[in-house]
Amino acid sequence: MNEHIVKSYEDELNVLTAEVTRMGGLTEAQVADCLKAVVRRDQELAGQVVGHDERLDVLQMDIERKAIRLIALRQPMANDLRKTVAAMKIATNLERVGDLAKNIAKRTLVIIESEPMTPLTRSIERMGKLVLSRMKTVLDAYTRSDLDRALSVWSQDDEVDEHYNSLFRELLTYMMGDPRTITACAHLLFVAKNLERIGDHATNIAEIIHYEITGEEMISAARPRTDAFQV
Amino acid sequence: MPSSRDEAATRETAAIRIDAPPVQTTPLAGAKLSARDVNVFYGDKQALFDISLDMPERAVTSLIGPSGCGKSTFLRCINRMNDTIAGCRVTGRIDLDGEDVNDKGLDPVLLRARVGMVFQKPNPFPKSIFENVAYGPRIHGISSSKTELEGIVETSLKRAGLWNEVSERLDQPGTGLSGGQQQRLVIARAIAVNPEVILMDEPCSALDPIATAKIEELIDELRTQYCIVIVTHSMAQAARVSQKTAFFHLGKLVEAGPTDEIFTNPRDTRTQDYITGRFG
Repeated sequence: MNEHIVKSYEDELNVLTAEVTRMGGLTEAQVADCLKAVVRRDQELAGQVVGHDERLDVLQMDIERKAIRLIALRQPMANDLRKTVAAMKIATNLERVGDLAKNIAKRTLVIIESEPMTPLTRSIERMGKLVLSRMKTVLDAYTRSDLDRALSVWSQDDEVDEHYNSLFRELLTYMMGDPRTITACAHLLFVAKNLERIGDHATNIAEIIHYEITGEEMISAARPRTDAFQV
Repeated sequence: MPSSRDEAATRETAAIRIDAPPVQTTPLAGAKLSARDVNVFYGDKQALFDISLDMPERAVTSLIGPSGCGKSTFLRCINRMNDTIAGCRVTGRIDLDGEDVNDKGLDPVLLRARVGMVFQKPNPFPKSIFENVAYGPRIHGISSSKTELEGIVETSLKRAGLWNEVSERLDQPGTGLSGGQQQRLVIARAIAVNPEVILMDEPCSALDPIATAKIEELIDELRTQYCIVIVTHSMAQAARVSQKTAFFHLGKLVEAGPTDEIFTNPRDTRTQDYITGRFG
């Protein structure tokens, strides 16, 4: 790719994408930490995740401000326009992922008040690791403008859904077997749902990357999916 | 639960549909002007190479590209303005409603009544506002009476969005108007002879943003009736006013297509580099 004739324009675009990458890194860390917190029943770490969420909010607003400024002052066209819009949309998705991670951390604080349920925690951990790896892959795809990587995330969303469905069944079994576990299980169900939604955001980001690189939108309806309610 | 075969089928469809461009653009009308393999030579130097481009009816086609890329040369081929340049030779065809504009039997004066032109610098005649607009209809014998001529002048000035500003001073010199008003006056002059095509060569480059906006609004109104071809250096203007965009580079037509596609997703890297302000 050739450089812009106006150097400061080039710099502004680079700053924008660098900031999205940074936000991506922080979001990934938040997801990893909330998962660690719920698996290890780590109260302190859960508290940290809750506290760190504000940083993502600030970054998202900053990216949005920078992108709007760029559109107003530079009138980006073609791939530059797509890059600017993509940065803004990815930041919105990352901010939502951050909120979901925070929510998992908050629920962790309640869950650890009940007795540990090891098999369930293992299932959550497996699902969480899968979601985390999808986040990681999609963010790598963004940094490297790697279309194949983005597509691999996009086409594998059903794996997360399958995990969610099986966890749902597992949780039902626990709750029916021992009503005392209902509180913790209900929270774990939300944890699983949040993880599933983080997976969805990873898919969204993959779609945005596809648009940024190719200029063409993907059709979400065409994506292979297993309905979460088909239990 | 769908069977695994169904899932495989869905996945297959998905893979196919990823490549299909889902964005639908408004279909353009048929070509009013159709250029085929147009070459232009200034003496030994070739300025245009095999240009083939359709310019649709009732739409604005913008020609963009760096200075010296041949876009103005191409525009001037359409109403045979290059005929007046010594040593300039044009080959290929440009059809206006299927009729070659370079046909020897076609009177260039009559052609230019059908294909009006507006230049970069407003060029009103050193005559009154009224006479500027009345001149064309009069020499082409379009009006039979004074009342009819007055009617044409009024309609043309109204369509050019200038009537309210000049109706009280039609006898005053056209050159006394502001730059933006002068440009609208020459547009009124061009449309007074009922042209079919209006060519514009950077019509706003000498105007301030407000005057530019007025001309752009006018272009948008005129396109419901005419085929308009505009050369512009302002990419933003091309994006705003045109429905089709053609990118010229070094005398060649690199890429042409619906304006929204050219500005969001150009196919050629040279187009992309040019419209995004990179070294081409």
